[in-house]
Amino acid sequence: MGPYHAIMVHFPVALWMVASGIVIFRGLSDGPLARALDRVLLTFLAIGVATGVVSYALGLLVWPPDTLQTTPLGRNHMIAASWSLCCWAAVLFLRWRVGERVWEGFVNRLIMVGLGVLGASQLAATGTLGGHLHGAPAYLSELLRPFGWDVYQTFYLPTWVLVVLAVVIVAMPALAIVATRGRAVRLERQEAGP
Amino acid sequence: MLRRHTAVLVLAGLFAAAMLLSLFTHSTGVVHNDPARNIWIPPELTMPVKLQVAYNDQRIFFHYRWPAREPHVFTDLLRYSHGKWQRQLRTPVGSDPDGIYEDRLAMMVDDGSVPEFQRYGGYITVGANMRDFTGSGPDAAHRRKYLPATRRDPNDWYSIVDKATLDAQRRAGYFLDLWHWRAHLSNPLGRSDDQHIAWYRLYDSGEPLFVSNWDADGGQPRWMFDPDRAGVRALRWEDVSGGHGDIKGPYYLAAAAAVPFDAAHEWREGDVIPGQVLREPSGSRDEIRVQGQGRWADGYWDVTLVRALDTGHPLEDKVLRDQGVYTIALSVHRDARASRWHYVSLPLQLGLGRQAELMATRFNGDTPDWNRVDARELTLFYPGQVSWKHLSSARHAGSKYIAKGVPVKYRHKETQLAQYGVEIEFDREIRRQWALSLIAGVLLVASFVFSVSLLLGHRED
Repeated sequence: MGPYHAIMVHFPVALWMVASGIVIFRGLSDGPLARALDRVLLTFLAIGVATGVVSYALGLLVWPPDTLQTTPLGRNHMIAASWSLCCWAAVLFLRWRVGERVWEGFVNRLIMVGLGVLGASQLAATGTLGGHLHGAPAYLSELLRPFGWDVYQTFYLPTWVLVVLAVVIVAMPALAIVATRGRAVRLERQEAGP
Repeated sequence: MLRRHTAVLVLAGLFAAAMLLSLFTHSTGVVHNDPARNIWIPPELTMPVKLQVAYNDQRIFFHYRWPAREPHVFTDLLRYSHGKWQRQLRTPVGSDPDGIYEDRLAMMVDDGSVPEFQRYGGYITVGANMRDFTGSGPDAAHRRKYLPATRRDPNDWYSIVDKATLDAQRRAGYFLDLWHWRAHLSNPLGRSDDQHIAWYRLYDSGEPLFVSNWDADGGQPRWMFDPDRAGVRALRWEDVSGGHGDIKGPYYLAAAAAVPFDAAHEWREGDVIPGQVLREPSGSRDEIRVQGQGRWADGYWDVTLVRALDTGHPLEDKVLRDQGVYTIALSVHRDARASRWHYVSLPLQLGLGRQAELMATRFNGDTPDWNRVDARELTLFYPGQVSWKHLSSARHAGSKYIAKGVPVKYRHKETQLAQYGVEIEFDREIRRQWALSLIAGVLLVASFVFSVSLLLGHRED
């Protein structure tokens, strides 16, 4: 399945890279071109996620699971691919559910741009690691080293950090629910009057 | 009450903090020394060795220079403790805490008769379940290096082919010559031990360089230092343990300078006598000499080994010829480590007057001028517990390339292999932690985006 995976990944790579450009551009500009590009963003993201899922599935068939998960490069490729797919699916969800409100205000834009940069970075790492696995290493992996990531070393987190992440994962929606209900209560009070 | 704007900021901060925490703490918390599982990871995963090679009509010279914080020149000691003599022979897991294990340098040599060696070096000699591997069991001491074709099943140490086949393989050159310089057991006599690897790691024929000084029946040494010549009957434990830069004093027991052990002498707690007596070797065992002195100074060992191009023992030594291309691979033991806790090189092509990765310099005269000989800096790496069985199995993503004969150097660098060597020792733990990290990352992004979407509201609100 290696060749088919290699062919298929061109689609999400191209679409998400363009999407990241649009997200960053839109995050910095309210001009007509930025708005026009934003109108096709959802389409790009949706096709990117769809082809990304297919690429991911094909990638899982290149090697037997045990083989892929035994090599640090394979593990890193898989974790980066998983996070890329998740990140871009998240951007798609956010843009679809919230609509153009994602571009309102500095913080909203910062979140979108941050997710776009994160997705692009993970996509670049995924592609680089894929190149390594197929015997075509790129110097991009050397750029990751100053950030503390040796691509030949499996990316994993110590248990205590996983616990911290678990707390954050639970705390974030809890915080959002509390804040949303608080807002609803305030609106109700305003509507009820003094 | 928490404002929406503030809540979004807090979420973004939490998400960013979680990402940064992950980036700064990744790949930690799993790898640790675990002597109970025969796991000990060296602090430095790679080390350099400078290599120069020169030859004339009769002999070939290898000059090695490698860093070692301090020389370790003792091994296998007999120690007087609690009123009796005890043998201090042990294979430490990692560095010996007392510094009692000699520094060593070994070099495998092949003339092309072992084609897998050209491509994969020493990896081909590491079968499954070798001694000192995790879970190898207490009966693994004899499971040492061998060549794959000496077994009916290359992954089964005990499936040795019949003697006629082994003999035929030997005549066909299917063995690796093994030069083995030892800081205690060979260097003092100006020799390197001479071995070869075929169905086992074998000594060359001839009288050995050393014989045991331990009288197991009597529970005491057989020989001791001659006090008239050495000034002492024994060494002191406090002088030999810990590694020492000064090796000018007596540190080995040569047969010519030893006298029979005097059991009647009033021995003191901490007296130490070497457990091996060095003596002049003979035959094929006596072919590799140290040119000058193998010596440690200023944090480096400098050793030059010299051997006849053709020793006259073609079934134990590889014959080297002008215009020939050969494959060598080095290993170094330092910091009082033994067994598999060494550094190894990838295979290196050596050309005698022919283009190769390293060209030996031809010279006239008795000794080479090393200032005129090309030097090559090799990177040696800690190989971990990577066996030929693993490499040629479906679990290794590169096994299909091995099946096609693609050399290890085409796909791997030394630093990479060192990292892989460490990770495979913790494969189960790392894989579990990696899987949890993958899931945690996915959930973190999903949680963040879901939370933000809650706060920002639906587009139709």
